[in-house]
Amino acid sequence: MGRFLFELGRYMILMWRVFSKPEKLSIYRKRLFDEMVSLGIDSLGIIFVISVFMGAVITIQTAANIDSVFIPAYTIGFTTRQSTILEFSPTIIALILAGKVGSNIASEIGLMRVTEQIDALEIMGVNSSAYLILPKIVAAVLINPFLVVISMFVSIGGGYAIAMLTDIVPTADFVYGIQLDFKPFHVAYALFKSAIFAFLITSIPAYQGYYAKGSALEVGRASTRGVVQSSILILVANYVVTQLFLI
Amino acid sequence: MIEVRNLSKSFGEKTVLKDISARFEAGRTNLIIGASGSGKSTLARCLVGLLRPEVGEVLYNDRDFFAMTVSEMKEMRKEFGFLFQQSALFDYMTVEENVRFPLDLLTKMTKKEKDQRVSECLERVELPGATKLYPSELSGGMKKRVGIARAISSNPRYLFCDEPNSGLDPQTSIVIDNLIMDITKEYNITTLVITHDMNSVIEIGEHILFIHKGDKWWDGTKEDILTTKNQEVLDFVYASEFMKQLRK
Ligand SMILES: Nc1ncnc2c1ncn2[C@@H]1O[C@H](COP(=O)(O)OP(=O)(O)OP(=O)(O)O)[C@@H](O)[C@H]1O
Ligand SMILES: [Mg+2]
Repeated sequence: MGRFLFELGRYMILMWRVFSKPEKLSIYRKRLFDEMVSLGIDSLGIIFVISVFMGAVITIQTAANIDSVFIPAYTIGFTTRQSTILEFSPTIIALILAGKVGSNIASEIGLMRVTEQIDALEIMGVNSSAYLILPKIVAAVLINPFLVVISMFVSIGGGYAIAMLTDIVPTADFVYGIQLDFKPFHVAYALFKSAIFAFLITSIPAYQGYYAKGSALEVGRASTRGVVQSSILILVANYVVTQLFLI
Repeated sequence: MIEVRNLSKSFGEKTVLKDISARFEAGRTNLIIGASGSGKSTLARCLVGLLRPEVGEVLYNDRDFFAMTVSEMKEMRKEFGFLFQQSALFDYMTVEENVRFPLDLLTKMTKKEKDQRVSECLERVELPGATKLYPSELSGGMKKRVGIARAISSNPRYLFCDEPNSGLDPQTSIVIDNLIMDITKEYNITTLVITHDMNSVIEIGEHILFIHKGDKWWDGTKEDILTTKNQEVLDFVYASEFMKQLRK
């Protein structure tokens, strides 16, 4: 418990420093752009692959589970869309990125710590925490909602492919289902959620890397801790946000 | 001028520096020598505030460094140039970008002035051709030299070099020693060089501080060090066969 409070306090102090006034904006601009590319563009491939299969499986699962004459076939399309938008795209993508981006951030910053690069920044009077971490957080919070929107389309497209290629569900019913009773609020809710997840995915591994000590071995451990903790917190935050906004 | 008063630093139970007092004058090359693990790097890190000593004061031109506010300390740090023992170059930047970084950060130079300053610094460390390489593509000695170029690019008033010529061949070592000496005189800066290298001691040791297991054991000039009666210092200075021969 003491350990937990210590870590929480240190995390809060780090975040406070990250969001304090930057010393020279021009050196941040390039960083932000680079981070947007590495967090966004470089994640498109994995997001595409995962989303296609996710949508396909949701469609098949739903069809298999509501195999009843009393439930209309368009329900399959409707359920696929709803669970993709509300849950699967924001949350699964966040968990995948926690693994991919999170381990990357923790090891990058951790390595900078153990090779004294962070000390070198501090000596030059740079707020190293803001310089290294702020562009990552801002980039992820801006880019992640876009990635999630892409994932939504691709995932529903995956379901549509199943409807077309198999006779699990008639294509027309599926298409009717995915258009039925669409609420823009649900998309807004999902994007809000993904921005929160983006914050967790970047800030927690960054924190772990920033306070890494000693050797490359320790950087590996910090990276693992960053991924595990951010994954758990994504699920907790998901629960809280769902409870607050959808009930 | 840097003055250290009664500085002590420990890591947990282990005391690494014990009650160190010293004065490092401007316009003079100040050397810190001592065996491996004696606390030289730790002293340098305490001086610039990367480590906080438990006891003691560090004064920069009579201003107490650890009594400064966070923003004053930040301002102060803009006058530092620091070469790390492991170079600590920024991995994601090229050689050129590394050297330019302090200029982007600390000066209002135009792009052209920066370009010129960067190539001037790289020439002084004899690395003009390596501008576009990344640190992972450099040898240890090249990294050291880029580190020096980065440390001096923004014309610091206080220059700290942790083993500037470890990993360098004898000729390049002398170039680097002379470079450090020259800019010290030219800009009247306060220079502190940590070294193991007896050649450097003889070459540029205007003021030498000998640290032995965390204690300040001896200080004096290079003329003094060759004739001292202090046994630990003599053991250090005349460790090599070459130096022993020289003494005869
Ligand atoms: N962060 C740290 N935590 C614990 N102990 C440390 C730390 N940094 C240094 N030490 C210890 O302090 C002592 C002095 O280390 P320091 O790096 O200052 O030596 P040095 O004189 O620079 O040696 P070298 O010439 O090999 O670089 C060593 O015994 C080292 O184990
Ligand atoms: Mg050292």
